[in-house]
Amino acid sequence: MHPFLNDSDPGAEVNRRQFLQNGSFTTLMALAGGIPVGAAESPAPADAPSNPGGSTDYQGKSPTVKVGLVGCGLWGREILRTLSLLANAPVVALCDTYANHLKRASSVAPDARSYGDYRAFLEDPQIEAVMVATPSHRHREIVLAALDAGKHVYCEAPIATTIEDARAIARAARDRIRLNFQAGLQSRADKQIVNLANFLRLGVLGRPLKARQQFHHKTSWRRTAPDPEVARQLNWRLERAHSLGLVGELGVHPIDLANWFFLARPLSVSGFGSLVQWKDGRDVPDNIQARIEYPGGVFLSYEATVGNSFEPELGVLFGTDSAILMRDRRAWMFKEADAPLLGWEIYARRDAFYKDSGIVLGAGASKLAVQEPKPASPDVLVDEKTALQYALEAFLINSHRRTTAIQDFSAAYDAADTGALEEYLADLEKTRLPAAGWREGFESAVTVIGANEAVLQGAHLTYDPAWFELG
Amino acid sequence: MTTCSKPIRAFLSWAGALLLAGTLHSADAWLRYTSFPGSKVTIEGTSTIHDWTVEGKVIGGYFEVEPSFLTDLSLQSVKSLTTKELNPRVESVIFVTSLKSGKETMDQIMLEAMKADQHRFIRYKLTEMVLKGDVPASGSPAKFDTRGELAVAGVTQRIDLEVTLERVETDRLRISGVKALKMTDFKIAPPAPSLALGLIKTGDEVTVRFEWILRLKAPSD
Repeated sequence: MHPFLNDSDPGAEVNRRQFLQNGSFTTLMALAGGIPVGAAESPAPADAPSNPGGSTDYQGKSPTVKVGLVGCGLWGREILRTLSLLANAPVVALCDTYANHLKRASSVAPDARSYGDYRAFLEDPQIEAVMVATPSHRHREIVLAALDAGKHVYCEAPIATTIEDARAIARAARDRIRLNFQAGLQSRADKQIVNLANFLRLGVLGRPLKARQQFHHKTSWRRTAPDPEVARQLNWRLERAHSLGLVGELGVHPIDLANWFFLARPLSVSGFGSLVQWKDGRDVPDNIQARIEYPGGVFLSYEATVGNSFEPELGVLFGTDSAILMRDRRAWMFKEADAPLLGWEIYARRDAFYKDSGIVLGAGASKLAVQEPKPASPDVLVDEKTALQYALEAFLINSHRRTTAIQDFSAAYDAADTGALEEYLADLEKTRLPAAGWREGFESAVTVIGANEAVLQGAHLTYDPAWFELG
Repeated sequence: MTTCSKPIRAFLSWAGALLLAGTLHSADAWLRYTSFPGSKVTIEGTSTIHDWTVEGKVIGGYFEVEPSFLTDLSLQSVKSLTTKELNPRVESVIFVTSLKSGKETMDQIMLEAMKADQHRFIRYKLTEMVLKGDVPASGSPAKFDTRGELAVAGVTQRIDLEVTLERVETDRLRISGVKALKMTDFKIAPPAPSLALGLIKTGDEVTVRFEWILRLKAPSD
């Protein structure tokens, strides 16, 4: 535990936590009956016989959904690479206004047709589902057109840069009951984080107090291109006119987690922003803080900078019974001494550190054996799937389920009875693989749009509840 | 949608044939009840590690019977329900893609085992339906012994089944029943994942429970 995270008496911290020393959240989760955080699918033993004792060889493969990608920049190509890992997601079409991006994307998806115009792209009848990874301010027109064209839509987060655009997308997605819409808040589909959210529902935090999330990277956040005009377009993130800045374009993910974990909409936000490191003509801050207030006196403090890389992605949830530390999709719980004993915790594995081998500044803390780097042990499971892979798998499966559900229902019943169809689909929603839908996409967008406004103004801003209404 | 692949096209043509058959039948003035939302089918099974259930809510098809079915609640004058010589015309389908276990992989294995890419639905066609015992004065419930042909995964078997018919509201029927079946009777190999070294085996026998809701089709429908 680094003193940055808790600057109270480190000795006392150690004593309070001795019962949890050398314990990991993974084991806690396993003993709690959930799928353990860090769980990965068990690989087949290399020497497993192929057909022992009359075993069957059903593959259980997910059904195929043909995909088109619009927006083939860095993140778009990350989506492509992830799709290429999936057996059920042939990429049939690519779209970008920048030829270089298209060319690079084509090297990942060589069989896909290329389009320079999204309208022509959406007319491609092969495409069943569209991934939208364009600049955020271009989402609205493309998402609405894709839904109109009868395509399932995965829209990157934030889904929009204005409340009006976010509302238009959410309404359209809500009203197209035959189509699946997923917002690109991949943590909502990530098995590791879903398990953590379920664990929080057990009340282990006690009374929630606050959360802290941060994003620290040393990077210009700038893309390069030989043509100055193209470079300007590629660097839309650095212009206030098109970008929600660090708090919106990146912060939407951890801030959405707070909305989810606290099951609440924010009440107000105070923002701070400065441009310190990258005075290269950009007008978005490179160093920001936002303090978001939730009902019940709960706060989220979000900090982001592209001028320093210490503790790149970190989250801590604080409650009256425990604190939960999140790093790289892993989590650890640190219980208060007066918190109720959880039956399984005496069996728990304990880790007092993660990857860092930084110097522990707290007096006495360096005596902890757990600060020594340990070789990876077999019981430290690493999830081979990324959050994005979980999100894309969920999107494809949920999209296919919706298509087949409507086909089944329409074949059996009066297709004109939309009320009955809606009821059937609502029932189907109960078995939907966890993933962010239009509501989460909308509310997270509204949250960060407000936060960005507060950051730019250096002001305290109250969220009008009407902003969260779809009408 | 490009998912409109061969099996779906085959299904659509089958559905078209069903509609056509319905049109022809309507000429003889029999009542026609057609599937209505609210149906439920569950398949319960076992395995060496835990019992399992899949559930579906889509049962398609129709039930055709003489007009006296509406007026004679005792059913004694309804020949198709009291004699083997004349029988109601009943066909139903359960879409295998609508059956859900709550676990995606299990669903996919089930679809694979049931050869869903070639046989998208379980199809039942009734051949005999005979009233069993007396019908209460209210006309509901009535029990019947039935015989029919059940096609699963491309294999057709004759099955005998006791069903209960209830009149619901003024124009609806609920037909329900329970039947134990064996997967192997339909040439379905009970899943036993090779990854689990054959330690996990699904039991051959399953219990199918269904509640099929139908609504009387008005002449204008």
